[in-house]
Amino acid sequence: MGASDAPTIVDPDVDETVDVARPWVVVVWNDPVNLMSYVVYVFQKLFGYSKEKATKLMLDVHHKGKAAVSSGNREQAETDVSRLHAHGLWATMERD
Amino acid sequence: MARTPFRRNRSAGFEVVLEAGEAAVLTRLCEELTTLLADEEPGEAGDPVLERLFPRAYLDPTEEEAESDWQRLVHGDLVDGRRRALATVEGTLSAAQLRRGRYELTLSDDQAQAWLAVLNDARLALGTRLEVTEDMDLSGLDPDDPDTAPFAVYWWLGVLEESLVEVLSKSS
Repeated sequence: MGASDAPTIVDPDVDETVDVARPWVVVVWNDPVNLMSYVVYVFQKLFGYSKEKATKLMLDVHHKGKAAVSSGNREQAETDVSRLHAHGLWATMERD
Repeated sequence: MARTPFRRNRSAGFEVVLEAGEAAVLTRLCEELTTLLADEEPGEAGDPVLERLFPRAYLDPTEEEAESDWQRLVHGDLVDGRRRALATVEGTLSAAQLRRGRYELTLSDDQAQAWLAVLNDARLALGTRLEVTEDMDLSGLDPDDPDTAPFAVYWWLGVLEESLVEVLSKSS
């Protein structure tokens, strides 16, 4: 960049910059209705996880009350949450 | 229930055998869910079943704007998806032929997915209304006792869904 007198653009919104860099985590919560086998099936179908990984996540949901099942930017997390809701799972998203 | 309700058939689809009374219960549940979704207004709070079928995406209250944007973006699609699945299940039920008191249905892959979605939604709706908990033992209830009949239906839906998940898991 030449020695012009173009103003240097400084983004004053530091928080926003930090936010963009932080991934969002999709969390599935335990509920008394969904069958364990169904939850495993949905994790495999939606995320392509192996039976072992899907089963481990389901057991985390069941025993610990919740599990992080995917992460990404805000848009990706919103997409995953809506897919999980379409399958009747109780999912939310939060910053990592 | 001794038999396994769902089976993979030799060609491409799935088979399910239902007693006439079972088909009638499923049809009624489909109608109830369809009515619930028809009355549904986005963002309307109050009905615990609708709140369970359409939960929030953001727990953080400072993300209220993002929550509203997300609801506007996806809510209609989520409702339509559920309506389509219900229409598919109702269609396969009404097209089935009664033979010796039983309905034998053959479902395609897509129809089986619609059945899975509807069985799960019906359990979510009924389970929420009945406030079931994980440690309730609901097996062996009398389906003819008015006090326990809804719980017996809920339990039976679980047997059906478990069977369908099993055949779908094996065939994927």
